[in-house]
Amino acid sequence: MIPLSVIGGFLGAGKTTLVNHLLRTATRRYGVLVNDFGAVNVDAALIAGQSGQAMALANGCVCCSLGDDFGAAVASLAARDPAPEHIIVEASGVSDPWRIAQLALIEPGFELMPLVVMVDATAIAAQLADPWTGETVRRQLAFAELVVLNKQDLAAEPGQAAAIVAGIRPQARTITACHGEVPETALTFAPPSRPRASRLQADLPHMFPTWRWPCPLPLDRDRLRAVLGELPPAVLRVKGLCLLGQTAEPYLLQYAAERWAFSPAPTTLAPELVIIGTPQLTNPAARFDAAVIGGWTAG
Amino acid sequence: MTASTRVFSAARIITMNPSIPTATHVAVRQGRILGVGTADEMAAFGEAVLDARFAGKVILPGFVEGHAHAAEGLMWRNCYVGYFDRVAPDGTLWTGLKSIAEVVGRLREALAALPRDAPLLAWGFDPIYFDGARMSVADLDPLTADRMIVVSHASGHIMNVNSLVLRRAGFSRDDNIDGLVRDDAGALTGELLGPPVMSRASRVAGGGGLLRPLDARGLRDYAAAARRVGVTTATDLVNALTPELVDLLRAVTAEPGFPLRLVPALAAREYSPEAGVARLLELRPTSTDKLRFGIVKLVVDGSIQGFTARLRWPFYHNGAPNGLWYVAPAELGAIMLAYHRAGLQMHIHTNGDEASDLATEMIGRALEAHPRPDHRHTLQHCQMADAAIFRRMAAQGMCVNLFANHLYYWGEQHAALTMGPSRARRLDACATALREGVPLAIHSDAPVTPLGPLFTAWCAVNRLTAQGRVLGPDERINVAEALHAVTLGAAYTLKLDHLVGSIDVGKFADFAVLDDDPFAVAPAALRDIPVHATMVGGEVA
Repeated sequence: MIPLSVIGGFLGAGKTTLVNHLLRTATRRYGVLVNDFGAVNVDAALIAGQSGQAMALANGCVCCSLGDDFGAAVASLAARDPAPEHIIVEASGVSDPWRIAQLALIEPGFELMPLVVMVDATAIAAQLADPWTGETVRRQLAFAELVVLNKQDLAAEPGQAAAIVAGIRPQARTITACHGEVPETALTFAPPSRPRASRLQADLPHMFPTWRWPCPLPLDRDRLRAVLGELPPAVLRVKGLCLLGQTAEPYLLQYAAERWAFSPAPTTLAPELVIIGTPQLTNPAARFDAAVIGGWTAG
Repeated sequence: MTASTRVFSAARIITMNPSIPTATHVAVRQGRILGVGTADEMAAFGEAVLDARFAGKVILPGFVEGHAHAAEGLMWRNCYVGYFDRVAPDGTLWTGLKSIAEVVGRLREALAALPRDAPLLAWGFDPIYFDGARMSVADLDPLTADRMIVVSHASGHIMNVNSLVLRRAGFSRDDNIDGLVRDDAGALTGELLGPPVMSRASRVAGGGGLLRPLDARGLRDYAAAARRVGVTTATDLVNALTPELVDLLRAVTAEPGFPLRLVPALAAREYSPEAGVARLLELRPTSTDKLRFGIVKLVVDGSIQGFTARLRWPFYHNGAPNGLWYVAPAELGAIMLAYHRAGLQMHIHTNGDEASDLATEMIGRALEAHPRPDHRHTLQHCQMADAAIFRRMAAQGMCVNLFANHLYYWGEQHAALTMGPSRARRLDACATALREGVPLAIHSDAPVTPLGPLFTAWCAVNRLTAQGRVLGPDERINVAEALHAVTLGAAYTLKLDHLVGSIDVGKFADFAVLDDDPFAVAPAALRDIPVHATMVGGEVA
C-alpha cells in the first residue's frame, strides 16, 4: 500500500510552495501530482530528466501533471519503476479535496493519509466573507484532518485563523507554517520515529491517538456496515485486514470521514483493525465487537 | 484567362445583407460571392454559367455554429441510446428510445454486432423522461455475463454499468463511497455519480471510452454532420491545440473538398496564461480559409442540470448546494487580463448567473486596466443571465451565445428542479439579450444536443419544452432574429462576420440551400425544413 496524501486549499494558500518544499527536502521517493506543472520550481541541478508533463528529480522524486482523470494519473504514477514511496496529490484551488481523497479508498493499493488543507492565515477571514469564495473555502475545510495555517508570520491577528478553522472543523489538528515549510513527518498519522532537534519537529506533538482491535473471528458484513455507519466524527481512520462473512474472506478495510471501501486482500497478515482519531476520542475499539459473527452484540 | 463565373438562381435568396435583404440570383467566382441581386444585374458580370439546379429552392448564408465540439464526430462509434431521435453524420436515423426495455433491446443488438471481447459503450441515455424509472444491473446483467457495459447519461454526470464492471472496479455493497447509488435494500444499482467513481469504471472497461481523442475520421465525420444540416462554419469549442492536434486539423481541413470552415478554441486550462497567449499568437497567422485560429475558451463553472453551475441567491430551487468554480474568481481575472491584453478573443463558459456576473465583472476590470475596442469577448451558454447582466455586457462590448436547445431538452427540469418557475422563464433569454443590445448567437453544444441550426432557431422562436409547454413566452424572438443568430450573429461572435454569415460581395460563397422558405412556413415548422444542399466556397459539399 502506497501512502497517498491529498493537499487542498484555496488559491494562494501555498499548496505549490509546500510541494516545492517537499520535493527539495524529500527523504522519501515522492510521486507528486500537481495542477500547474509550470509552477513547480526546483533547482535546475535537482532535475534529472523532463519529458512533457513529467519531471524526474535526482533525489528519486517524480512530479507529474494531474490532468482530468485523477484515478488514471495516480495509477500511472504508482506503476512507475521504482514506485514512489508516497504519493502527493495537489488538489486544484477550487476543488473539494475530500472528493479527491476518496480516490485513495477506491483505487486499490493506496493508503489515505491525513487530508491536508492549507489556509492562508492572512486571507481566510476575507475569503470566507466573500460571496464568490466563502462557501468554496468552507467546503474545502469540511473534512480536513490536518490544517496548515500558512503565512502565519504575516498575519495581523495571529490567533484569528486558528479560531476560524476550529469553528468550521474542530476535529482537525492545526499546525502553523511559513513559506509552506511543513516537515514531511506531518503528512502521516504516525509519530516521528525518534525525536529530532529541529525546531519544526518540536512543534509537532503526536497528534493522532491510535488504537488496535484484533479481529481473528469473521465479521458479519451487515453488522460491520452498521458499526462503521455509527462511528463518531472523531474517528479519522479505520484501516486494516478483516475477515468477512461465514467464509472468512480476507479484505482490506479503509475508512475515512464517514466513507469506506473494502478491497480483496489475499494475504497472510494477521487480521487487525487500526483506529486513528482525535485526542477527544475515547477508545472506540469495543464498538467493533458488535460485528463479530456469533459474538456479543450490543443491545 | 478569366476565372469562370457561375450564377445560381433560386426561388428566394435570404441574404442577411441589409442593402439587399432578398434576391433571386447570386454570382460566384473563385469561391467567393461576386454579386447578389436579379438575373439582369448578374448579367453585368459578363460571361457566366447559369446554374438553375436550386431554382425552386431557398438559399441562405451557410449556417455558423458558434458552440459545438468536434467530438460530435466521435460519439457515433458508440451505441446511441437517447430518448430523442437523432441522425448520425452518415445520415442514419437512430430512433429515440422511450423506455428502459427499448434501451436494453438496442444494447442487446449492439452487443451482438461487437467483437467478442469488446466492452459495450453507449451514450445519450436520459431516464428523466421515464417517470422515475431508473436503469439497474437487473436490466443489464441478463444481456451478458462476461462482457462489460457502460451506459453514459445525456447529462454527462451519471453512468450505468453492469455487475461485471462493478466487480472489476472493486465496488460492492459493503463499500460506502460518494457516488455509488443503492436500492432500498442497500444493493448497488450500477448507477455511478461523479468523476471519481465514473472514471474508475471507465478505466476498467478499457481505454478512454467516450473520451477518445480526436482523429482524422472523427474530424471528417464532424464536417459531414455539419454539411447535413447546412453548417459551413463551426467551432471546436475547446481544443488543446497540441502540435499533434494542430497537425491533424491542418491536414484534414486541407483535404480537397473538406466541407467546413473550422474554428478551434484553445483550451485555456491546458496552458499557463503566458503559454496560452504565446501559443495562440503563434498559431493565428497560420490560419487558412478552412481553419481559423485566434479564440480561447475559458470555463468558469459547471452545468445547471448537473448542479455544478454557480448560482446567485436564491440558489438551486430544490435546495441543492451551490455549484463549483472551475477556476478561482481572482485567478479568472488574471487569466482574462492576460488574453485580453494580448488582443485575443475569449469565449467564456458560464452557465449559472453568478458565473456570468463574475465573468462580466472581470471583463470590466480588464477593460479598465486595458481599454480595447471591439474585443467581442463572448459569454457561452450564459443561460441564467438577467436583464441587468445583459445591460452590463452590452455596455462593455460583450457578445452572448445562448444555449437555445436547452429550452427544449431540459426546460421542464429547470422549471421543476434547478431554477424554479420564475427564473426558468428567463432561461436562455434571447429577447432580453437583443432588447438590451447584446449581439446574439444561439447554439447546440453538439454532441450535448444535436447539431442543427434550424432546430436551434426553432427553439429560440417557440421556446417549447419537450413536454409541450411554452417556457417564458416573452423571451421568444422572431424568425428573422433567430436566423440572424445562426448566421451573421454567430459569425460576429467569432470575428468572422467580414467573411461568412451573410450573402454579400467578397464573402465566401457558403450557402445553406433549403427546400422551403423559413419565412413562409409556420414558426412551429421551422425545424422541419429540409436542408437540400450545403455549399462551401461555391462548391456543393
